[in-house]
Amino acid sequence: MLQVRDGAGEQLGVLFDRYHAPLYNFYAKLTGDRVLSEDLVQEVFLRILKYRRSYSPGTPFRAWIYQIARNARIDHYRRTPRQVPFNPDMLPPVPPKDSAQAGQEAALLHSALMQLPEEKREILLLSRFQELKYEEIAHLLGCELATVKSRIHRAMLHLRDVYRQLEQSTASKKAKTATADFIPPQGGSHAV
Amino acid sequence: MQCEQIAELLPDYLQDSLPAEQHKQVEAHLTACAQCSEEVALWQKLSLVPFEQPGPESRARFEAMLHAFQAGRSEQSGAHLEERKRASFWSAFNWFRSPLGAVAWSVALLLLGAFIGLRLNGSASRTPELAAMHSELTNMRQLVVLSMLQQQSASERLQGVSWSRREEQLDPQVLAALMHTLRYDNSVDVRLAALDALSRHGRQPQVHKGIADALQEQQSPLVQVALIDQLLEWRDPDAAQRLKNLRQTPDLNPTVRQRADWAISKLN
Repeated sequence: MLQVRDGAGEQLGVLFDRYHAPLYNFYAKLTGDRVLSEDLVQEVFLRILKYRRSYSPGTPFRAWIYQIARNARIDHYRRTPRQVPFNPDMLPPVPPKDSAQAGQEAALLHSALMQLPEEKREILLLSRFQELKYEEIAHLLGCELATVKSRIHRAMLHLRDVYRQLEQSTASKKAKTATADFIPPQGGSHAV
Repeated sequence: MQCEQIAELLPDYLQDSLPAEQHKQVEAHLTACAQCSEEVALWQKLSLVPFEQPGPESRARFEAMLHAFQAGRSEQSGAHLEERKRASFWSAFNWFRSPLGAVAWSVALLLLGAFIGLRLNGSASRTPELAAMHSELTNMRQLVVLSMLQQQSASERLQGVSWSRREEQLDPQVLAALMHTLRYDNSVDVRLAALDALSRHGRQPQVHKGIADALQEQQSPLVQVALIDQLLEWRDPDAAQRLKNLRQTPDLNPTVRQRADWAISKLN
């Protein structure tokens, strides 16, 4: 990063290789919009170029880049407010009924994650998927370490509740389908 | 241990950063408590959610953006967000609608008329007229900057700041507006850009003082660090004292404190 800051533009390619996929994953899970996520990743690297001189040696780089990523998203929504409220059913690919249990669980978890309020989803993404240390998250969000930990705990409790509800509703749907399959058609050939 | 006590330890347990003793305590609790162990199980299950992969064209777009930036065309770069492209296209016309824009537009028409008149007359006194026209144009551009700095959208304000860089000399009113932007704008990016634009006018005492005063008021670590660097670059005589005052601020970001220490050592 220091080389990028001091004007070596080609070094940005190294940073891109290292960070663009994790950043895309972060945005895609946070916004549920893949096209927007691609655009925001590009915006992050443009901002790194523009504001590279504000990076000071010794700053945790991951916290710095995620700070830029958060600002880019906030600015985007300030410019173009969300027209349609987020629909959690829209993003996750619904697994076919007979797929493996792990696939179903993953889809349910994804759904549950997308139903969390954005700030809870964000902190879980940062800690679990982007693997930021709590100290880095505290630096990034500008809050105390203890606050980060309690927010993580609250987000996990919320996720657990949503996940349970989804599990129950899926189970009851399955039960209904199973019963429907079992009942013979009314007035069918069995009466003959 | 009770669930509330465990709740305080759980986040560190999840990232596997608890000391061995506490780790054991949590494990013992988890075997007995279904609620807490469900939370841990859910955390582990989150690894099942697949990693979202960017498309193959991502790298090509990045290369194009980098190329455009290096060619000095970053402002009009094709790698900007699509929305931004549309927004910036229209924002070029938005200022016509504001009162300042209307004044600027009228002055432009007047000048165009004057220019055509001069050409037709073939007047001998062309040079002073042209100089006057040039100064009017400069004024007009500065009015546009003032108008853009008032916009709602951060990207338009950012554009206003970048317009201000086209002028060698800035009107005191524009400087004051940029200083206001540096101090109070909501967007960190706009504040950083305003600092960048103002730093070119550091020889003017009021700009110099405005930037030095902003140090104590800023909350964003990025802007604080940029201000510290600016003061260091100017070798401001008061800088060391101002940085020491900054260091006394309670809850100061550790990176900013480290940067201030580093700058103080450079100044001495």
